[in-house]
Amino acid sequence: MNAADLLQRIAKTLRDDVGPAVDGEYPKTQAFMAAVVLQKLGRELEFAEAHRAADAGDLRSLADDLTRARVGAGVPRAIDDAIARFAAVRDAASLCDVIEALYETRDELGESRFVAWLGRIRSTLRAQIDRRLEFAK
Amino acid sequence: MNDALIPRIRDYVAGRLNARDVTLERVDRIAVGWSHETWLFDAVWREGSAQHRLGLCLRRDPGNALLRHLSTLETQFKVLQCLEPTDLPTPKPYWFESDAAILDAPFLVMEKVAGVCPSPWGRDGRAFYAAAARRGGLPNSFTQTLATLHTLDWRAAGLDFLGVPMPGKSFAQREIAKWRELIAVSDHPPEPILTDLVGWLEANAPSTDRVCLVHGAYRTGNLLIHDDRISAVLDWELQVLGDPMYDVAYVLSDLNREGTPLLSNLVERDAFFRDYEAATGFTIDENACRYYNALYAMRSVAFWMSASGLYATGRSNDIRLARTAYSVPDVLDRAAKELGY
Repeated sequence: MNAADLLQRIAKTLRDDVGPAVDGEYPKTQAFMAAVVLQKLGRELEFAEAHRAADAGDLRSLADDLTRARVGAGVPRAIDDAIARFAAVRDAASLCDVIEALYETRDELGESRFVAWLGRIRSTLRAQIDRRLEFAK
Repeated sequence: MNDALIPRIRDYVAGRLNARDVTLERVDRIAVGWSHETWLFDAVWREGSAQHRLGLCLRRDPGNALLRHLSTLETQFKVLQCLEPTDLPTPKPYWFESDAAILDAPFLVMEKVAGVCPSPWGRDGRAFYAAAARRGGLPNSFTQTLATLHTLDWRAAGLDFLGVPMPGKSFAQREIAKWRELIAVSDHPPEPILTDLVGWLEANAPSTDRVCLVHGAYRTGNLLIHDDRISAVLDWELQVLGDPMYDVAYVLSDLNREGTPLLSNLVERDAFFRDYEAATGFTIDENACRYYNALYAMRSVAFWMSASGLYATGRSNDIRLARTAYSVPDVLDRAAKELGY
C-alpha cells in the first residue's frame, strides 16, 4: 500500500468508525474533518508527481514564450527584468513578479501587449488551478 | 465546554449585577474556534421574593481567532454601543473587559436576543429558509433591515471611529490594503492568480461618494430570526464605512446560496432589487457589485490563508482550519473565473 492509499484508508476509518463513536459535537466534528483532510491529502499525494511534471512543463513553455515576446520589443525595464528572473527560476514567486510588473507598466507596455502577455500567463494559471482542483474539491 | 470557566463567569456577572446567589442556567457554548468563543446563558438571581432572569451572551477572545488581527472585541463592543440607540436591531451591549485576569482573556457581555440562527449551509437550515421564503415575512425583513443599516446616520451614531473613506476610490483601495495585510501575515506561499486578482482590483477600483455603514457579511446565518423577522444583526467583525454596494454584492453573490435562486437562500432577486431601492432611495449598481464580488474572492483567499496558517503554525489545533488550506484553490478558481479565465 502506498502513502496515498494509506491516507485514504485511514480517512475511511475515521469517517466510518471513529467519528460515529465519538461523543460530543466538537470532537466528533474534528474526527470527521480529519477524515476530509486526509482524504484530500491522499489525493494530493496521488497526483503529486504528475502535477509536478505538468506544472514544470507549463512553466517552461510559458517562460519560453515570454522570453521570445520580450526580445527586441522595447519592453519596460521592470518587465524585462521580471521575465528574465522568471525564465531562470520558473517558480510561483517570480511569476507573481512578472504579473505585478505587467500591471505596473501597463501604460508603458501598451494595452495590446498587456492583454496578450497576461492572457498567455492566464492560460498557464488556468491549467494549474484545474490540476489543484482535482484534489482540493 | 470549558466548565472551569463557568463559575468565574458566574462570579463576574454577580459582581456586575451586584446580586448574590446568582446561578447560570441554560449554559451553551456555540461556535468553536472560527471566531471568538461564545457562551449563551441565563443569569438567575433573587431579590427578596422576586426571581430575576437575564439572558446574556459572552464572547471571549481565544487569542487565535480567525480575523483577530482585524477585529477586536473592544471594537465590536463599541460598535454595538453606537448602534444601540438606532433603529437597527442589535444586541444590547453590557460590559467589555480587557483585563485578562478575570477570564484569562478579554471578553464582552451582551444581551441574548430572542431568536434562532439556522446555518444556511445545512439541510435543516435550507429547509428553514425555504419555508420562511414561502411565508414571505422574513424575506421582507431581511431587505428592510439591510436598508435600515445602510440609511442610518453613522456619523450621529458615533461610528466615524471606524475610519471614513475619502470620496472616490478610497473605500475599495482601503479594503484591498486590509486583505493584502492579512494575506501577508498568513505567510502563505505566493499565488500568481491572487497577484493577478489584486492587480485587476487595483486597476478597476470603483469610485463612490456615498458612505454608509457596511456590515461586511450580511447574509442568513449572521442574522437572528424571531417570528419571521430579523431580531438582531450579528457578527460585527467585518463592518466598515463605505459603499453600500459592498453589502449588496454579498447579498447578490452565489456564495451565499446553494442550489436555490433565492438570495441568501431567502429572497427573490427581483423583490430584493425593488424593496431595497424603494427603502433606501439608492439604485443598485450591478457593475460595482460585480467588482465587489471579485473583491470578496480576494477576501476569501485572505480568510482561508489566514485560517490554514493558524493551524500550520500551531496557533490553533482546530482541524477545521487545516481543512481551509484546500479552500484556497477553490476560491482562486472562482477568482480566475471572475477575471474571465
